[in-house]
Amino acid sequence: MHTIRFFAFLLLLGLFSSCEKAIDLKLDNSAPQYVIEGTVTDETGGAKVLISQSKNFTDDNSFVGISGARVTVESDGNVYQFDATGSGVYQNLALKGIPGHTYNLTVKLDGKTYTSVSTMPQPVALDSIYVVDDEFSNNKDKTKQRLATVKYTDPAGIQNYYRFIQYIDNIKEKTIFVDEDEFTNGQTVNSRLNFNNDNDAPTREIRTGKQLTVEMECIDKAVYKYFYSLTNGASGDGNNAAPSNPQSNITGGVLGYFSAYSITRKTITVPAN
Amino acid sequence: MKKNGPPRFSNLIYPLMKLQQFLRIFFCMVLMAAVSSKPVFAQSPLDKTVTINLNNVPLKQALDQLTAASGVRFTYNEAVASSDVKITINAKGQSLRQVLEVALAAYPYVFTELDQDILIRYDAMKIKKSGAGPAANPVTGKYTISGTITSKQSGETMIGATVRVANGAQGTSTNGYGFYSLTLPAGDHQLIVSAVGQKTMVIPISLTADKRLNIALEDNAQELQTVTITATPQGGRDLKSPQMGVEKLSIKEINNVPVLLGEHDVIKTIQLLPGIKSAGEGSGGFYVRGGATDQNLLLLDEATVYNASHLLGFFSTFNSDAIKNVNIYKGDMPAQYGGRLSSVVDIKMNDGNNQQFGVSGGIGVIAARLNVEGPIQKGKSSFLISARRTYADAFLKFSKDTMINRSQLYFYDINAKANYILGDKDRLYVSGYFGKDVLSVDNVNGINWGNTTATLRWNHIFNNRFFSNTSFIYSNYDYEIKLKQDVNNYNITSRIHDWNFKEDMQYDIGGDHSLSFGLNSIYHTIKPGEISATGNSGIISQKLETRYAFDNAAYISDTWKATDRFSLTYGLRLSAFSVLGEGTFYNVNADGDITDSKHYNSGQVVKTYVNPEPRVAAAFQLNDISSVKASYARNAQNLHLISNSTPGSPTDKWVASTNLIKPELADQFSIGYYRDLAEHKYEFTAEIYYKRLQNQVDYRNGANIFTNQPIETQLLYGKGRAYGAEFMIKKKVGRLTGWVSYTLSKSERLIDGINNNQWYNARQDRTHDLALVGIYKLNEKWTLSANFVYYTGDAVTYPSGKYQIDGVNYYVYTNRNGSRLPDYNRLDLGATKQLKKTKKYSSELTFSLYNAYGNRNAYRIFFRDNKDDPNRTEAVKTTLFTYVPSITYNFKF
Repeated sequence: MHTIRFFAFLLLLGLFSSCEKAIDLKLDNSAPQYVIEGTVTDETGGAKVLISQSKNFTDDNSFVGISGARVTVESDGNVYQFDATGSGVYQNLALKGIPGHTYNLTVKLDGKTYTSVSTMPQPVALDSIYVVDDEFSNNKDKTKQRLATVKYTDPAGIQNYYRFIQYIDNIKEKTIFVDEDEFTNGQTVNSRLNFNNDNDAPTREIRTGKQLTVEMECIDKAVYKYFYSLTNGASGDGNNAAPSNPQSNITGGVLGYFSAYSITRKTITVPAN
Repeated sequence: MKKNGPPRFSNLIYPLMKLQQFLRIFFCMVLMAAVSSKPVFAQSPLDKTVTINLNNVPLKQALDQLTAASGVRFTYNEAVASSDVKITINAKGQSLRQVLEVALAAYPYVFTELDQDILIRYDAMKIKKSGAGPAANPVTGKYTISGTITSKQSGETMIGATVRVANGAQGTSTNGYGFYSLTLPAGDHQLIVSAVGQKTMVIPISLTADKRLNIALEDNAQELQTVTITATPQGGRDLKSPQMGVEKLSIKEINNVPVLLGEHDVIKTIQLLPGIKSAGEGSGGFYVRGGATDQNLLLLDEATVYNASHLLGFFSTFNSDAIKNVNIYKGDMPAQYGGRLSSVVDIKMNDGNNQQFGVSGGIGVIAARLNVEGPIQKGKSSFLISARRTYADAFLKFSKDTMINRSQLYFYDINAKANYILGDKDRLYVSGYFGKDVLSVDNVNGINWGNTTATLRWNHIFNNRFFSNTSFIYSNYDYEIKLKQDVNNYNITSRIHDWNFKEDMQYDIGGDHSLSFGLNSIYHTIKPGEISATGNSGIISQKLETRYAFDNAAYISDTWKATDRFSLTYGLRLSAFSVLGEGTFYNVNADGDITDSKHYNSGQVVKTYVNPEPRVAAAFQLNDISSVKASYARNAQNLHLISNSTPGSPTDKWVASTNLIKPELADQFSIGYYRDLAEHKYEFTAEIYYKRLQNQVDYRNGANIFTNQPIETQLLYGKGRAYGAEFMIKKKVGRLTGWVSYTLSKSERLIDGINNNQWYNARQDRTHDLALVGIYKLNEKWTLSANFVYYTGDAVTYPSGKYQIDGVNYYVYTNRNGSRLPDYNRLDLGATKQLKKTKKYSSELTFSLYNAYGNRNAYRIFFRDNKDDPNRTEAVKTTLFTYVPSITYNFKF
């Protein structure tokens, strides 16, 4: 359904975008909050926890990692300690997740304990990826914007949640692509990864000859809800009448999420139009 | 946000509006206004001196002779012309003012200056004030006089026309169908009959039995605002009536207020009244006394209109050509209305001229209008057809961009009505509305939406005291989204439709009581969504469960004129809303997950909500010029519009109450003070209100709007409160008319699960709201107008920080609606030039300039990475309209 949502968004955006101007706005500042991004994947090196902190709106965009945390993940009675490998980066190279298993995250920081749990869904095969023209949008040079489409077969009978990550020449697209099988249960799905190149960055454009990689993550329901509400409620785009912080699956009062997910990915060279 | 992305319709309209010629016209207009605004006359006609001697000369003759002697003309109606009063004047070099004061001192006539003329008017109050009471009447017993008041020229029934007894306190006004009923002591009376835009008539009657009297009022040929508005009697009914929180607008007033693109609009104009606030540019909605946009009941000839906006809110669905009258009740609705918490906007369509055939219309910058009406059988039956369509999309064809030149962007609507007078006691009306908006890109992708309503009504007069109206009403709102992506075609439809039966009766019991009572049954069918998909997307065509509800109500209300000064209306509306099968209903836990469900068969009652809704209002008239009123009303609402987009969208969901969604309730307490100033030239109104809201509905944080899950999984519930003070001062007489309205208010919500369960400002919480409207009749040809609005920005949620997820910036939010959009202010100017005016044909040109000083009001504010410096984030303000000129040509023959 996200294609339809995106369309409705475009329609409204088109009608109402007229005159934009950056303004000085006096914003209240909230106390800095910790941000935890935790992942366990079915690939080696995928067990990683990033800890950072929120800043004031007027500050710059360099976010420093928070060190000094004790990070562990428990699964099936095994406890994995995560080592600090950089500023705010905690990793355990030995932990390779197994689909169907449940992972319990514990982060101890500043005398507080934050916990979360995530179950890694079974992987779903990404059949293929291909590129199509977007009916609505152009690139800056007036050529049609091109978009990636993913093709996969959704397993019947169970609820599936997906997140897609798109790379163009290894540069990660910042748009969050999430989908679920509410309307597509058990079907072969061709789903377009719609995004709005709002800063007209050439690096974000899908062009002939570029390398297009799509990573398909099978995520659990809580993580889907997190990303759904993150992109709809906290992206600052002004379309939501009531923006709010996303529903985190980490308890203890932090921003961020913990996701155990399985991965399949495809890479193609973008063919001529 | 994007420079060359999505279709930009506004960008297409814009150049049109900015065309040089319009600017030139605007400059001409300003120039003309500047040139002709120098003082036109130096001396008041009343200051002219005159020398004249008259002895016992009939009034009309005396006035003629005064004109001959002074050069000043007099304006008066039949009642004055046919008066048998004889006056005596002995004046030597005296001012006309002195002369008239002396000459008319003993008689019920008053004079006022009217341009260069002097208006002589019958005024019963004058004699009452001076203590000359009515002649004693020996006849005893009480009788009822009743009938219908119409316009002589068009045969249109007059709504809210007043019938008063000269020298007495008794009076009434016509109901929504022009019917009045007045019980008086037997004997001789002078009835004064007046209505907006009509000449006041004085009718002598002799009551010895119940009597039918149909009255046809003449249009006021002078078409002067002054006369039309003084038709509201001095110290009149408005002060006496217990009804408060009501605003009435005639279509003439609406047509004089400058508007966006020259399309006169009921909904935009009422937003200039106190307590009624615009939901912002780009939104067709409005807020009444801190309520949400869905808490307003919009009735067009009694049919509910579910979405009153065209082109995503820039215009309303009410074509002012077809409208006769608008009444707005701000929460204190009479018991006959129900179903919404905040307001009722009761719009009545014209019936159609039953005397002669007429065509009128207009051509504006973006739309053309045509109105045809006439008798089917003269004096007995008539029809009216009124249509309009925008043609902005015609210009899209000129675009080189194929995506744009194959786009559609228009709306049209048609109002039609016919009525038949079936004898003296029965009248039948059939009316309908059909409107559609079409918005599409590249001929394949788009959305269309529209309302359809149909009303069949039967007025029956049982006897002099007993009036009934029976209505059968259909209303429908639907939308359809069509979308083509690659090989995929999607079609999404949604629809709400009602069958409605209404019986309203009015019974004048006599003894100062009049009753109204009735029944209402509505069968709602809501189809929340149906999606059909072809192609390879894997989306399975499906349909959300249709919801059914049976919405019943009965009411009774009595208006009791306890004394000359005190009157009371008290009543009860009892509503019973039954949620019906077929369908599955759910229970949901605190997290929004379904815990269990139950299936109900077709017609099976899932739940019935019974709500007694008491309504009480009292008025106490302090003296001839002022009164105080107080009222309490409870309203229940069982249809809820669930929306989370900022401007509101045609795809917002109407949801009926279910086992989990409880009826919304509002209790409103209000008191008011009303006073006429400067000999009734000004009208001052002050009202304060406190409103308590229960069972308010809102989306959860992070709710999924497009889901096939039950809607309850996405909702949260809570309560609200709203309070405020409203002030208005209105000038009703003279060349300059208009009003200043100011509202100071607060509106808050407390919803479990939002804002840490603390009270927060509703989006529509506006501390200050000021509107100034001025209409100035420069001369016979030109009328100038201006309005200015200022209001506190909406309560919105701004970030209080930022952080990164996956290397992308997101924002931290703390308090819901804890911030404010910048304050809004705007000035609009308008000018109307009468071009040609004969008895058969008249035409005029209307110029308007919306946002005359081009203030960049915030439509919304969003946050993003700075485009030039990605290491920074910035706040960006979006503005919709600055300087929008327009020109409209209107004609009538």
